[in-house]
Amino acid sequence: MPQITEVIGISREIAWLPWAVTYFFLIGLSVGSFLLSLPHYLFGRPGWERAGRLALIGALACGMAAPVALLADLHQPGRFWRFYAHPNLNSWMAWGAFFIPTYLSGLFLYAWSSLRPAIAADAEDRGILAPLYRLFGGRALPWLSRAAATVAIIGACLVLLYTGMEVMVVRARPLWNTPFLPVQFALTAIGGAIGLALLLDRLLGGHEAATEARLNRALAMVLGASMLVGAAWFAIGFFGLEARHAQALASVAQHDSFRITAFEGQAALALAILLALWKPRGSGWLTGLIALHAAWMFRWTVFIGGQSVPKNAPGLYDYHLPLGPSGLLGIAGSMGLLVFLIILLDALMPPARTRAAAPGEALPGRA
Amino acid sequence: MGSGRRSLFAGLAASLSGTAAAAEPPVPSRGIGPRWGMVVDLARCIGCQACTVSCIMENDVPPDSVRTIVNTYEVVKDGVPGMAMLPRLCNHCNEPPCIPVCPVGATFQRDDGIVVVNADVCVGCAYCVQACPYDARFINHETQKADKCTFCAHRVDAGLLPACVESCVGGARIFGDLNDPNSTVRRRLASEESAVLKPELGTEPRVFYLGLDDVLAHKPEGTPTLWRPQHQEGI
Repeated sequence: MPQITEVIGISREIAWLPWAVTYFFLIGLSVGSFLLSLPHYLFGRPGWERAGRLALIGALACGMAAPVALLADLHQPGRFWRFYAHPNLNSWMAWGAFFIPTYLSGLFLYAWSSLRPAIAADAEDRGILAPLYRLFGGRALPWLSRAAATVAIIGACLVLLYTGMEVMVVRARPLWNTPFLPVQFALTAIGGAIGLALLLDRLLGGHEAATEARLNRALAMVLGASMLVGAAWFAIGFFGLEARHAQALASVAQHDSFRITAFEGQAALALAILLALWKPRGSGWLTGLIALHAAWMFRWTVFIGGQSVPKNAPGLYDYHLPLGPSGLLGIAGSMGLLVFLIILLDALMPPARTRAAAPGEALPGRA
Repeated sequence: MGSGRRSLFAGLAASLSGTAAAAEPPVPSRGIGPRWGMVVDLARCIGCQACTVSCIMENDVPPDSVRTIVNTYEVVKDGVPGMAMLPRLCNHCNEPPCIPVCPVGATFQRDDGIVVVNADVCVGCAYCVQACPYDARFINHETQKADKCTFCAHRVDAGLLPACVESCVGGARIFGDLNDPNSTVRRRLASEESAVLKPELGTEPRVFYLGLDDVLAHKPEGTPTLWRPQHQEGI
């Protein structure tokens, strides 16, 4: 094997900035949170009231914050209209411009139609906002809730599909070019959403130990599935069962930074699973944070780490997180917006209640 | 003298032993017009970067980016060291992976095969940057849009050669019409063994290399250079 030393070469800096990580993180959390809200709001499962409310707050807040990061990644947010004026339907990214509004429209309609009776019931306690609550509140509209939930479910699946496929189809980056990527994006998104609900259960008033335990059990299952998918990806690459996977593993396995990140990620997931199973009541703070951390780090490693692997040069490109809008400030700003939206929604949304307790409300699907 | 110098470099290249898998000479397009392509005779490249600089000057490329560069490597084979030059640029592929991913159709291929970006439509999403396996694209920090080699389309349309070809000291870069059986590029490809970069990807590059070592036809693994210039964002 010849020895090669690069004498003259350049770095191609990363082109998908931390904005992309932030967008994929937030939209994934939104979709996962929406799915987590369904047992209560769509199916009326008893015991899911608080989890449903927390999940809906997460879905709405992340759903509103995510497109901001996406627009920022275009360098000039006004450029977004070209996605609709000149769509190239061969591109997954072009389809995303249609899937995101589909999902978000369905989500907002689903949230409003599901909360109508509770909003109306809450009007008297809202002071000067009472007229607004009377305007938006009303009797339950099960058909609308079901229709909106259906649109949102289809939209959510399409968002999961396009975000995964958009990255997976890039053959130029072996790390991205395996069918495990969309699956892992989806699993870490759902895991992160459960983590967010666990965190909100602690941060927002009205902590419920039973909800925490229920969420922890769900988290353990999702993270377990995520670990299995990761192990399968590694095994196929390691044993050379398929060329693309072997190439994907080979592109990163030689670098210590990737090895350490992979070990740290798997260890964190294992710890979260053990904690969630061993102490489902009381460990929500930690398991929730670990699940969010896993969702973020997976995307960071795929996007920023993946782009630091040169396509045509040995070694790795250096990446240092800039402090400005394309780096730390952008991430902090997005997360600040998310926190603001969560606080706002928590203040405005009616408190969790059993669906039977809401006056004049008929359970969707049972009307 | 010319042929002697060429033999010298050819001998050096041969000393590195083993050239890349030969590329099939391009089949002429059915179209009537030209299909522009480039042949790079690596035995003639001395790594002077005149092409890099002339491209920057001709196309007003921002100072922290390049549309073309001559990568230079030290390759040691069987204990024998040698220098290898590899000019890199957009390959103006027949099956360009950058085009289908563009969400707004801003990047397209002209009838003469040149892949260009319509900057009026480009949204700077960088999807094409990711999709290009040759790292030929980048986001221009002044326009915040995708940027790449255009084979100096503005010069070619005026009957001139691309700036990198015009300035090449050793005459390593040969530009011409692949549809014309009498063009230099066609004659060289017909008479000599050529190779393209990453042929396994099926992109059908239209930049051909003469004397390309197989280890450089793919991503080279080895020791990276100590310093790579890179754009740095301020606060």
